[in-house]
Amino acid sequence: MGKKIIIDPVTRVEGHGKVTVHLDDNNKVIDAKLHVVEFRGFEKFVQGHPYWEAPMLLQRICGICFVSHHLCGAKVLDDMIGVGYSTGKHITVSAEKLRRLGHYAQQLQSHVTAYFYLIVPEMLFGMNAPPEQRNVLGLLEANPEMVKRVVALRKWGQEVIKAVLGKKMHGISSVPGGVNQNLSVEARDRLLNGEEGLISMDEVIDYAQDGLKLFYDFHKKNREEVDSFAEFEALNLSLVDEKGNVDYYHGKMRIVDNDKNIVEEFDYHEYLDFFSEGTEEWSYMKFPFLKRLGREKGSVRVGPLGRLNVTKAYTTPLAQEALERFHHYTKGKSNNKTLHTNWARAIEILHSAELIKELLNDVDLQKDSLILMPPKTDWTGEGIGVVEAPRGTLLHHYKANKEGNITFANLVVATTQNNTVMNRTVRSVADKYLNGNDIITEGMMNAIEVGIRAYDPCLSCATHAVGQMPLVVTIFDANGNKIDEQIKN
Amino acid sequence: MNLITTKYHPDLRIFNTTSSLIYGIGNIGRQDDGLGWAFIDWLTKEKLFSKAETMKHYQLHLEDADLISHKKRVLFIDATKEPDVETFEFVKIDPKLDFTFTSHDISIASILATCKLCFDYIPEVYLLKIKGYEWELKEGLTDKAIENLNISKDIFKNIQKTI
Repeated sequence: MGKKIIIDPVTRVEGHGKVTVHLDDNNKVIDAKLHVVEFRGFEKFVQGHPYWEAPMLLQRICGICFVSHHLCGAKVLDDMIGVGYSTGKHITVSAEKLRRLGHYAQQLQSHVTAYFYLIVPEMLFGMNAPPEQRNVLGLLEANPEMVKRVVALRKWGQEVIKAVLGKKMHGISSVPGGVNQNLSVEARDRLLNGEEGLISMDEVIDYAQDGLKLFYDFHKKNREEVDSFAEFEALNLSLVDEKGNVDYYHGKMRIVDNDKNIVEEFDYHEYLDFFSEGTEEWSYMKFPFLKRLGREKGSVRVGPLGRLNVTKAYTTPLAQEALERFHHYTKGKSNNKTLHTNWARAIEILHSAELIKELLNDVDLQKDSLILMPPKTDWTGEGIGVVEAPRGTLLHHYKANKEGNITFANLVVATTQNNTVMNRTVRSVADKYLNGNDIITEGMMNAIEVGIRAYDPCLSCATHAVGQMPLVVTIFDANGNKIDEQIKN
Repeated sequence: MNLITTKYHPDLRIFNTTSSLIYGIGNIGRQDDGLGWAFIDWLTKEKLFSKAETMKHYQLHLEDADLISHKKRVLFIDATKEPDVETFEFVKIDPKLDFTFTSHDISIASILATCKLCFDYIPEVYLLKIKGYEWELKEGLTDKAIENLNISKDIFKNIQKTI
């Protein structure tokens, strides 16, 4: 009789999901899926609320990438009141730079969490290490000094977010048409120079470089295992500026193929003309794809690996040097090695730190021209915002009635964009690590988790759940007969 | 009938010092998950335990180890679903690396252990758990949770009279 292996819950991944692997009588993998069984309903929940509440409410989807949701929603509101990119107008230079500062700090924070807390322990101890060692607490016992640095990095990132957004979590600074506060000279100097208990900007960059070196060392020792882990071709998506380089806050959507040829490039306000979403009965998470290429060929990879495959250059020196090394490794082609996502993430930590340093030295952050207040006649009632969130391209789309109450909301989050490639990763890893084996080791089981974790998925974001949902586990035999079912509330 | 199930009841006066931190954990957008914040809001409004620093957060992060390393005593307040807790319960927390970590969920015991390993210091840490019932995406505590909150407030109010 065929077997079905269930890994549930997928540990160290936000939200709730499970993986099922179907084996035939010879222990050959015949199917593998990542199921997302948590369902959220933020898109429904926000309807009826005043439009200006949406960025405050929707950022509560997540306690990790809340700034991305907040800023994405703010860009939608800019459109709605008539000063957004869809209208051809722009918020003030200072307002945009302040939003960018918060955005880069969020990326630094989020990537530091994913990289140091979840991935570095795996790199240092190996996939076959006992679970109690293979996490940040194992790292803490082995190397408290490193964890101390991580604590310092996260604390610094939080202080930037607090200075820009007014609160450490779920801030309120971005308002329709701009921001409601600038950055004081005192706050700027504190972040640049540090103080007792707070590291300086230059120390942040040093720590970011050390983090990248950890990957280089790990890669050198484990090149074959890392490079061959879940390697498969996929299209890559990122927001890009006019030069075709990544812009985390604004730009056109560019999709490139394995040879880095542009497959599509468009203004994100036209996303509905280019993207569609598929559904599967076994997952609450949708499967976006490019309409022109269809469901199989048109899915995209987003996030650090996707962005580094799309971008040609960075404007900051240390990150540029690291990017050149990254691009050189695959000889100019797209990098399809799933675990190189962690390499890309470490580079983006450094890139974010350098971008923050540039902005902190920019006098526009102290200026008072922060909000545009257009006449009511400019009201459009509809807006679309896109940013490059830490996990990838994030889209919010709202419509409101003439009273200003939300009537429609659609969120396409990065984890949803990555749904198909995450499933391909699960299948690839299952094929390599499970096929033909009749003893399932912890290391083999963990390999599947490692593959999923490379995307740092936020399943809570991706499924927009309201309340608690039961977890239903069903077991089928090789003939498709249900042989068991468990429901866990 | 007194429903209080206090396994450990410290002399609460020890928290009314400048070296103390009272820290509410929760999410007011998730019904009874807002109990920790509601308690802090009440303390602030009533100007009780005013010498202590108070703060609210959605969840614990590893950098909270740095935060508590500067305090002599810390009282965390959080909602609980534990069936053994009828209204509220005090517990003293000892450092322990309990390996339950995700970036959304780190235990107080692990924060304390991190503090010990990184900063070679262990503050005195307690947790006040207040029983909640509903965690749906909705603002406002349930009536039963408000009752439990009020019972736990009474303890603090009575202590305050002796300060």
